Amino acid sequence: MAALLELAGVSVRFAGLQALTDVNLAARGGEIKAVIGPNGAGKTTLFNAISGYVPIAAGAIALNGSAIHGLTPHEIAARGVRRTFQNGGLFAELTALENVLAGLHARIDASFAGILFGTRAARAAEREAVIRARGLLEVLGVSHLADRQVRAMSGGQQRTIEIVRAVAAEPPLLLLDEPAVGLAPPVCAQVIELIRRLAGEMGIAVLLIEHTIDLVMAAADVIAVFNGGTKIAEGPPAAIRTDPAVLEAYLGHG
Amino acid sequence: MNGQAAQGAWARWVGGTHVFYAVPLLALAIPLFANQYTQFVVNLMLVYVLVAVGFNLVLGNLGQLAFANTALFGIGAYTASMLMVHAGWPFWAVILPAGIVGAVAGFLASVTALRGIRNYYLAIVTLAFGELLRWIYIHGEAATGGTDGLAVPRADFFGIALDSETARFYVFLLIVTVIVKAVSNLLQSKIGRAIVAIRDNELATASLAIPTGRYIVLAFTLSGSIVGVAGSLFAVLIGHVAPESFGLIELILHFAMVLVGGLGSLFGSVLGAVALTALPEYFRRFPGLYEMFFGGLLIVFLLIQPRGLAALCAKWWPALRDRYFRDR
Repeated sequence: MAALLELAGVSVRFAGLQALTDVNLAARGGEIKAVIGPNGAGKTTLFNAISGYVPIAAGAIALNGSAIHGLTPHEIAARGVRRTFQNGGLFAELTALENVLAGLHARIDASFAGILFGTRAARAAEREAVIRARGLLEVLGVSHLADRQVRAMSGGQQRTIEIVRAVAAEPPLLLLDEPAVGLAPPVCAQVIELIRRLAGEMGIAVLLIEHTIDLVMAAADVIAVFNGGTKIAEGPPAAIRTDPAVLEAYLGHG
Repeated sequence: MNGQAAQGAWARWVGGTHVFYAVPLLALAIPLFANQYTQFVVNLMLVYVLVAVGFNLVLGNLGQLAFANTALFGIGAYTASMLMVHAGWPFWAVILPAGIVGAVAGFLASVTALRGIRNYYLAIVTLAFGELLRWIYIHGEAATGGTDGLAVPRADFFGIALDSETARFYVFLLIVTVIVKAVSNLLQSKIGRAIVAIRDNELATASLAIPTGRYIVLAFTLSGSIVGVAGSLFAVLIGHVAPESFGLIELILHFAMVLVGGLGSLFGSVLGAVALTALPEYFRRFPGLYEMFFGGLLIVFLLIQPRGLAALCAKWWPALRDRYFRDR
């Protein structure tokens, strides 16, 4: 099966600092791939490069065979790449429902003139989106949060809503940047369960940055290990657990 | 469930289009009991409703510290006046050009913001833009009349002479109602949501396939066109445009209207404009007291009611709350 996302020889430089060097990586539909590594390994930079937030200095990033590097973040998102942010990317002033509606923005088929004049069609498109968003919150088990303002939610609830928002438009590729950081173990398990469902039931390709090793071992189908801006190993959890390079660079210090 | 549904229907009716149009419909009766002076103040309120609505769009909804509002207001007023004085255009024909020139100025401000000039820098650049325009008004005597300004000729609106406050009122009310309704529709749509999302977290907004740059340009341009139209109404209402009408004191008044009304609330813009147009007129009879009162009012609102009159009203009548406006 051809990969959905393919990185070939990707390098990223920040003013003299080599953040990523010659990275090759692929993601497939329905597969959860964890990206692990110590702080400064280049994990978030990898996500920023894929989603267009930092330019790449060399290499190529392709989605479904066509190059996406060089596009703006919203153009890359429009092609089906969605991500979450390490520090939380929700709109705090808005409710969970409104956040999910923002995730459906491009799906709401209303023209500018239609919106200004408040035409029946424009209002119907908005109503349809509301039904869809509520349905999604329901299916993913958080309908009770729909009308609550984000700033009044717990950390776990916010992480969950951010994931729901990211998958609202049914993206083929989802990048999750430490979705379980700082969460209590039972909440963490719920988030992992949600991610497994997205990959399993919706066939989404998931790239997952995570620090908690137990969690990574439990959730991921494949693990890619980064250190100092390069990928040092990739394979199923059992193989990674015993990989000498990984033990040396990462697990050995834990 | 039934109760909830009934409540929902009631809230929709009360918060819906009916109430929106009830306000201008009731306002139609104002000329019946207003004298010429009161009518003038009401007309001025209508002008300032547009001023505050346009300003709030960028300042409150988009969350950009752009202070070009008096510049846009002046551009609209001068565009309208110059076309009427020098080219002999009738009033109805100059409203649209005033809006278009305002839109172009708003667009230019958005380009500044898109190029990464934000926050304090945007504030300073836009303030400087306003002062630059005043310099042009003063020194472009042949076109602008210099410090004396321009006397606006008698206006008419499709054959109706706008020579009384009452006549102006009906025309202004129509224009303001149409524009405010359009802005209301916009703010309740996916575009309004995207604009607020950009304010809350621009990077995350782009990650949802929302073209943030396009909406920043849209908000600034629309704001410019609305305030530009307000300028054309102002020119006809006052009958005279001069550089001193578009200085910093005027900007503080615009800012206060948005702040006292409620940042990010369309309803608040209307309330703020009405309240802060009426108060100075009232305080005219107590010279010197106005400035004190005005300053005090701003402090009180910033400290006690930072989300403005709109938040206060939403507390008592939740259906009046703007979509995406939160009172805490």
